[in-house]
Amino acid sequence: MDTKSKILIIDDEEVVSDSCTLILEGSDYTVRTAEDGASGLKLVNELQPDLVFIDLKMPGIQGIEVLEKITESNPTIVSIVITGYATVTSAVEAMKKGAYDFLPKPFTPDEFRLITKRGLERRKLMLETIALRKEKEILRENFAAIVSHELKSPLGAIQQNLYALNDELSAVLTENQKTRFERMKSRIDDLIKLIHLWLRGMSIDIGKISENFASISISTVISKAMESVEPHAKRKDIQILTSIDESICPIEGEEVSFEEALVNIMGNAIKYSFPGSQISVKAKQAGDNIIITISDTGVGISKEELPYILVDFYKGKSGKEIEDSHGLGLTISRRIIEAHKGMISVESEQGKGTTFSISVPALM
Amino acid sequence: MTQQKNLLVIDDDPDFVEGIKSILDAAGYNVDVEYNPKTGLQALQTKTYDLLLLDIMMGRGAEGIMIARKLRKDPKLREMPVLIITGIREQMAFLFPGEPVHPRFVAVDELVEKPVEPKLLLEKVSTLIEMAEARKTKSE
Repeated sequence: MDTKSKILIIDDEEVVSDSCTLILEGSDYTVRTAEDGASGLKLVNELQPDLVFIDLKMPGIQGIEVLEKITESNPTIVSIVITGYATVTSAVEAMKKGAYDFLPKPFTPDEFRLITKRGLERRKLMLETIALRKEKEILRENFAAIVSHELKSPLGAIQQNLYALNDELSAVLTENQKTRFERMKSRIDDLIKLIHLWLRGMSIDIGKISENFASISISTVISKAMESVEPHAKRKDIQILTSIDESICPIEGEEVSFEEALVNIMGNAIKYSFPGSQISVKAKQAGDNIIITISDTGVGISKEELPYILVDFYKGKSGKEIEDSHGLGLTISRRIIEAHKGMISVESEQGKGTTFSISVPALM
Repeated sequence: MTQQKNLLVIDDDPDFVEGIKSILDAAGYNVDVEYNPKTGLQALQTKTYDLLLLDIMMGRGAEGIMIARKLRKDPKLREMPVLIITGIREQMAFLFPGEPVHPRFVAVDELVEKPVEPKLLLEKVSTLIEMAEARKTKSE
């Protein structure tokens, strides 16, 4: 705020309001006074002050009522009550009604200056919070549109031209050049996927997933997820071994989301695996539940980081920085699995590898 | 297909258009391009096309949808197949609350996402044109 802070003092004792005005004189404030509740409230409406001091004991409208009316009309105005009879009850009551603080009479100029400063800081923080909240809402609402158009469009255009050029040049490109073309395409593909992932993270509505629940086959959904991560695994020369119990029951769920949950975890396993290693995907029935485990022998997760790995927006920071992590993928997986009335847990040892276990109720 | 097919692309991203136009050119199509909805509509009024490739997010919003809706109302243009090429999969939900991700804008359209692999693009284009021709012969 570049304008002067506006302070209003509502007190029937002229001595008090005059001395308060004097105390604040010379500082960068505009100070106004009112001698009773009615004219005080009128000034509040006119002035929209940042900070109001209210004497609790006044003729006419009581201070507490003035306080209530101010809080009602504009809750961002910071109110501080001045109380002559410094009883805890009146102060507590005022705080309950929305006062930020109370100032017992008599007070020293320093006390008054300090409480003024704190009150104005409070007001500033409140306004900032409101502005930030609004900004966040706008950002969230526009995120999909902004990301889609501003990030995806250029990537799409680049990729489209790579596709075209690749075809047009196929007769003259050497094997090595073709491989480089493929790599460029897959890198851009990864970026586009990453943008999709972020969009999903912003918009995923878990409640909606269950609207489309149907019976899904574990082996189908696992093989679909594997298909999706296959190119990435191939590039790193990582083998994915599966072992699925033959008589395994289906589960109730939404196939696309469940596949997405698996893809994120498998993708993560590939990302943190060393080239040439193996990832194992197992599915078995344990009582009423289906247990799916995905294990790698990669970099692992440290004990300190482990509790946060499935929490919103966590991104591994220590570990070996082999590849950039998405951070959001595992969170989305967790939310999807929880929507399937399931649970996901993780065990890991640094340097040895990581195992994610998913447990979902079997459809029997 | 004996006669060369005429395609129209309406998309406001010239770089992207280059990318698909060269694929379609190489496959032997005659491709016209318009970079905004207004001239796009004019082109559709003046020349007969076998297929329209339409972007959705143009100008200040989903102006491609306006075109699709106008086409649906036009008795002559209604028969022309439309292939929607868009980068806005997620935004569909915002534009058509409660509707599936794959909204049918016009009777005979298909939707592919940007970027589109050459093979898939050519497949969709030829299928849509063939389907439109089959419908035409049937009604004659």
